Amino acid sequence: MSNKILQIVLEGLIMGGIYALISMGLTMQYGVARILNVSHGEFIMVGAFITWMLTTMAGISPLLALIICMPVTFLIGYILHRTLYKKLKDLTPSAGAYEGNAMLISFGLMFIIQSVAQKIWGSSPQGYKYLTFSFKIGKTAIAVNRLFVLFVTIIISVIFYFFLNRTRMGKAIRASSQDPAAAGMMGIKINRVMAICFGIGAILAGIAGSLLSMINNINTSMGMNYTVIALIVVVLGGLGSIPGSLVGGLILGFVGSIVNRIDTSLYMVVFYVLIMVLLLVRPKGLLGR
Amino acid sequence: MPILEIENLNCFYGNVQVLWDVSLKVEKSEIVALLGANGAGKSTLLNTIVGLVPPKSGSIRFMGEDIVNLSGSEIIERGISYLPEGGRLFPDMTIRENLELGAYPMKYWKSRKATLDMVFDMFPILKERQKQLARTLSGGEKQMLAMGRGLMSNPSLCLLDELSYGLSPLMASEVFDIVKKLREQGITVLLVEQNVRQTLEIADRAYVLENGRICLEGECCELIENDFIKTAYMGM
Ligand SMILES: Nc1ncnc2c1ncn2[C@@H]1O[C@H](COP(=O)(O)OP(=O)(O)OP(=O)(O)O)[C@@H](O)[C@H]1O
Ligand SMILES: [Mg+2]
Repeated sequence: MSNKILQIVLEGLIMGGIYALISMGLTMQYGVARILNVSHGEFIMVGAFITWMLTTMAGISPLLALIICMPVTFLIGYILHRTLYKKLKDLTPSAGAYEGNAMLISFGLMFIIQSVAQKIWGSSPQGYKYLTFSFKIGKTAIAVNRLFVLFVTIIISVIFYFFLNRTRMGKAIRASSQDPAAAGMMGIKINRVMAICFGIGAILAGIAGSLLSMINNINTSMGMNYTVIALIVVVLGGLGSIPGSLVGGLILGFVGSIVNRIDTSLYMVVFYVLIMVLLLVRPKGLLGR
Repeated sequence: MPILEIENLNCFYGNVQVLWDVSLKVEKSEIVALLGANGAGKSTLLNTIVGLVPPKSGSIRFMGEDIVNLSGSEIIERGISYLPEGGRLFPDMTIRENLELGAYPMKYWKSRKATLDMVFDMFPILKERQKQLARTLSGGEKQMLAMGRGLMSNPSLCLLDELSYGLSPLMASEVFDIVKKLREQGITVLLVEQNVRQTLEIADRAYVLENGRICLEGECCELIENDFIKTAYMGM
């Protein structure tokens, strides 16, 4: 019995941590740059495949591959915002219309990235072996790669927290999410901050992808499910709230881990039911105002 | 040379003209008031000075140099600090973080600790509560914070938009005292106010804006006796 509970808790923490990462990423993109990025999951897929390629073809350790993924995904996100979204923002008359159009563009990006990825990497599942041995706590066997993923997730979250709360750019980002016009009055270059936030969102997705490739098989159509999960967590945690994404991600991870024990096919169904109930009971999300 | 000199400024929101041929001067160490009814264009004028609204024509010179095409951060670095209407604090950040953001341009960021001490000396209440979120402050404390934040960039000119709005008479007087203190520290002030009597008492000169045009200007000691001002703005 305690054996099962320990496994459920661990699995909840591991998946919850990854959900939290991708949801914090989406929150950065929506909370500041006002882009509900439907192509978020594709950045996860790209992160996963870059890691897989570097590991299997270049023989680099997955951890090093993860570190290489970070500037790559950041640059893709940053440049996308500086060119595409910035242009769109300048051309769109109202903020509301921009949010709608930006989401449509991200839909387009989702299909484009997916088809390009399929051309390059095909559509069959891929994987590699990393830290596949396990050890035992009592009677429970725990795979080392899963613990490693959890460990990296925690480190990244802590770094992200310090970045947002202690650094000049972090403070500028938080100010911009609360009142962009006032942030501009402080001399904060709001367009630059938005592009950086979009890039950071992409980094967090890329890291999540890297981590997923260490414990699961990956395929080029894996992104969509994670986009949906991130959207659910972001709504669950209250749109735009970073602590909300963290808590929401963990909750979803635990719920998923319990559901998986009962019936794996119910995984996404339960999430949808959860979000519907939550939207009816607490429309502003768990920690939203 | 005036510290701020505006000539024939014309501003539009879309096709609607909001400022018409506005000219105005502020000399060093003066307190100059900008009065006018709601919607006259006072905030628009301040927004234009700090580069948030691009003017269609006219010039704005600060310390003799044209600042019309500068970015917001460049204007702050020249020494102009803008305290917008309604405070515009960052509600979910602490007092200390709000103050730090007042020193956001790199030039001031590096010396922010020293500036912070200076602001805390001026507003001890902010020091006591520096870890508190801005949203939890009282109206008066919020205005103190807004002023403190405005001082974090060591300005030589402060643009104040309706600082006393919504404050009790006692709190409002305190705000006006602080404005006088700014001048003692060598900071020039251009202030927009609805509180006409108190403003005319502390300011040196005033401009009255009506429907986007300057309709009256002069020394405050004279304006306070002006019949138009008395009937239109002091309800007498
Ligand atoms: N962003 C904007 N877009 C369009 N019109 C605007 C905008 N801001 C202000 N206006 C209009 O410009 C005119 C002047 O507004 P402004 O805010 O400068 O007035 P004000 O003198 O500061 O008034 P108040 O005393 O109420 O603050 C008003 O008619 C207002 O409706
Ligand atoms: Mg105004």
